[in-house]
Amino acid sequence: MITHQNGQSQKPTRVVLFGARGFIGSAIREQIEVQDIPVIALTSAELNLADVAAVGRLVALLKPSDAVVMLAALTPDKGRDIATLMKNLTMMQSVCAAIEKSACAHLVYFSSDAVYDTAVSRVTEDTPASPQDLYGVMHYTREIMARSLVKVPVLVLRPTLIYGSDDTHNSYGPNRFRRAAQNDGKITLFGGGEETRDHVHVDDVAALTVRCLLHQSTGTLNVATGISKSFLKAAELVAKQFNRNIEIISTPRQNPVTHRHYDVTNLIKAFPDFRFIAVEEGIARVHKKAMEAT
Amino acid sequence: MNTPVIGFAGMTHLGLVSGVSASEKGFSVICFDPDAARVAALVRCELPISEPQLDELVAKNANRLKFTAAATDLSACDVIYVAPDVPTDDSGRSDLGPVNVLLDSVFAAARKDAVIILLSQVPPGFTRGRQRPGRILYYQVETLIFGRAVERALCPERYIVGCTDPAQPLPPAYRAFLSTHDCPILPMRYESAEIAKISINMCLVASLSVANTLAELCENIGADWSEIVPALKLDKRIGRHSYLAPGLGIAGGNLERDLVTVCNFADQYGTDAGVVRAWVANSRHRRDWALRTLYREILSRMDDPVIAVLGLAYKQDTHSVKNSPALALLEHLKPFHVRVFDPVVPASATPNPRCHAAKSELDACDGADVLAVMTPWQQFGRLDPARIAQRLRGKMVLDPYAVLNVTACRAAGLNYLTLGVQS
Repeated sequence: MITHQNGQSQKPTRVVLFGARGFIGSAIREQIEVQDIPVIALTSAELNLADVAAVGRLVALLKPSDAVVMLAALTPDKGRDIATLMKNLTMMQSVCAAIEKSACAHLVYFSSDAVYDTAVSRVTEDTPASPQDLYGVMHYTREIMARSLVKVPVLVLRPTLIYGSDDTHNSYGPNRFRRAAQNDGKITLFGGGEETRDHVHVDDVAALTVRCLLHQSTGTLNVATGISKSFLKAAELVAKQFNRNIEIISTPRQNPVTHRHYDVTNLIKAFPDFRFIAVEEGIARVHKKAMEAT
Repeated sequence: MNTPVIGFAGMTHLGLVSGVSASEKGFSVICFDPDAARVAALVRCELPISEPQLDELVAKNANRLKFTAAATDLSACDVIYVAPDVPTDDSGRSDLGPVNVLLDSVFAAARKDAVIILLSQVPPGFTRGRQRPGRILYYQVETLIFGRAVERALCPERYIVGCTDPAQPLPPAYRAFLSTHDCPILPMRYESAEIAKISINMCLVASLSVANTLAELCENIGADWSEIVPALKLDKRIGRHSYLAPGLGIAGGNLERDLVTVCNFADQYGTDAGVVRAWVANSRHRRDWALRTLYREILSRMDDPVIAVLGLAYKQDTHSVKNSPALALLEHLKPFHVRVFDPVVPASATPNPRCHAAKSELDACDGADVLAVMTPWQQFGRLDPARIAQRLRGKMVLDPYAVLNVTACRAAGLNYLTLGVQS
């Protein structure tokens, strides 16, 4: 559940965005700029948050009127070990230490649905966090670090599976399916792809983030569409984009089928006029953009 | 023995209905409330609540009813019920302050031989803690149902009486009053009676939660819950009066209060209340059915829709909006144009500043893209779906309680959605 500190939309004077180079960060930056809101978009090359010297630079940079969006993290493809966990916590420590010294008007922390137990099939914001791996532990710990900041309005966003153009990750789902279809002419599923998941387009994630900035929203919000589809369905949608036959291959199931549905009532309450990009349309968009790029 | 004079202290919903019903049974009744303005209104027959039959019974029994703001008038009573409504906060917690104050004033005003009966909904342990040496105090379970309060008071199924010692006979005046209702009287210790009240409500909530959980599954699987209900009611273990109609969660305040009470006591004593918390969560989830459905069908699809809402009260035949699903819905429709109508509750009760107060059901439908029937008022069921279709701009009708005639709605070209059926 989130609460809007601004009943009416009100542009923050400036947004400081950590993790701006990534797939999600780029999309958020783009939509912030569309709103004509000044943004400082920092990449890890410009400011290494894992470096202890980062705090001093951040203190000099931040203004009490800034809205801060913290996206920077080493994702699981960079490592799932304890060392990666500790680096990620150090990054958050730097941001929190700087905010404690400089203050800010709003902190949006980008967490993950990895904070929930993977066995839970229906998720709301009230679902107890119970991370099953170090990546989930990292995000949940960073959420608590964010909330420990006194006098700072904090919003935690927990996005589910994000897809979209420019995704550099190759997680199981629409992006990987599209690459596989394009490169190999086939999509390989785990089992029969029976598992249902909620796939949210990166532009929706960015649009919701901007809305939260405009309303200075606080609390915790799952970023999901509320509609789950099977991986098989996602594969079929991807295959449909190609003018040639794309083979969808089932494999012997190694793990039991699990499902994940999001009850997005709180999101509807927060933004009752928000319209998600349907996964059918989103997959078509991604494909079209990829084809244009080639 | 002379016919006892019965007193009722606390002229809110429970006390007023109980007092008026006692007068209908032929007893002289003294209705006391310390609020002089409230009493003055009652003397003028201006009732603060809406209940079927209540206005008629007040007029009919005027010669047996005495409304007073003077506690000393209670000295004429042989039996005095202390029956103020116990208010709850937003989290369902009771405010027991007013009932304590009223009980003190009744003890002070009543004769020493008067039987004092606590009728308000109080937590387990409350009554024993109020017992005073040399005084006669009982606790009686109330089973008031909003919208059926008079009927329930006149024809109770049984009386559950909490006593210091259940083995002792009830005082003659008290027994004489209860006996006129011709139903079983079940004496038990105070705490058992207090928990009996909660137990009744928990059984009702359990049934409702079953109905809501399975109705939602029906909506997704393609079954029709309304076809299943008769089969359940013919099962003697479930019963024909069981609460199996799916709804928009628990509302009205009383059931919610008991859920909170059970959870609080479970926390205090370390007992398991997981199932009770699950009922609460399920209730909250189902309360938002209309919002989720509206979002899926209308809000996420069209710009600036106009929404008609029929019904604001939490249920039919009552003025109460406590935890009303309609108001919960309207709370989240603030960005939209909404046209509302309720036979009793004014549009000013809504939290939505853009609400248009319609003069009638059809006026509310005028130009709307969707109609949501949020309270099952009987008069809504008499609406002609063809006329609704003429007045609406869109075709969508959300009728969670299945008030409208579904066949007629579909014949009128309306896209009809209700609980327990796949859309």
